[in-house]
Amino acid sequence: MRRVGGARRGLDMWLAQRAGAIYMALFLPLFLLLALAAPSLDYAGWRALFLPLGMKVATLLFFAALLAHAWIGLREIFIDYLHCARCVMLRLSLYFAVAALYLACLVWAADILWSVR
Amino acid sequence: MKPERPYFLDLAAIRLPIGGMVSILHRASGAALSLAIPCLLYTLMLSLRSPEDFQRVADWFGGLLGWVLSTLTIWALLHHFLAGLRHLGFDLGWGEGREIARVTAWASLLAALVVAALIALWRFP
Repeated sequence: MRRVGGARRGLDMWLAQRAGAIYMALFLPLFLLLALAAPSLDYAGWRALFLPLGMKVATLLFFAALLAHAWIGLREIFIDYLHCARCVMLRLSLYFAVAALYLACLVWAADILWSVR
Repeated sequence: MKPERPYFLDLAAIRLPIGGMVSILHRASGAALSLAIPCLLYTLMLSLRSPEDFQRVADWFGGLLGWVLSTLTIWALLHHFLAGLRHLGFDLGWGEGREIARVTAWASLLAALVVAALIALWRFP
């Protein structure tokens, strides 16, 4: 019987977490360089950083990678520490609560980025 | 279904090898960073919303509480980043030997601490 806890999905999750990690490992140093190379980092300069469409898209992708990476990581922690038979409901509730929170965060990130015009 | 097996979880008596130390700190920093995501988004929103809110964020980062919390966050990010690169290397079969794995464990632990300390000193309020 297939278990509701998500048996056999581990490899996909593991791979997605690595893909997200690699994107973030490339994005973060590049973003830092761009920010440090900006003529000034006052309010206008900070906003100007997020003005190009490419920057908005790359940053939104960063948040998507971050949220997926974090969700898979938290899922792993829940699996490791909440593995008693009666914990399944608690574990699933936590998965779904964090998933809902993170989906909301993704929409919020898009709203923040596209508010820069 | 569940096999009965002996557990030894006396945290005061367990001595983790350096690789285990870096690994558990990778997990702890990841958990902390996961919880910090909504705070990060809130800060980003304020910083982009108006010049007044941008100034509020800048003042907060310049204050003592902001300095302490951002220093801890920067350390967590650096540790998670460096230990994560090390673990990505293991996924590819790089650096799995005992000696080299110990060296990279120490290197990621110390590099994260040193860089976080330097940034903290540079930003001291």
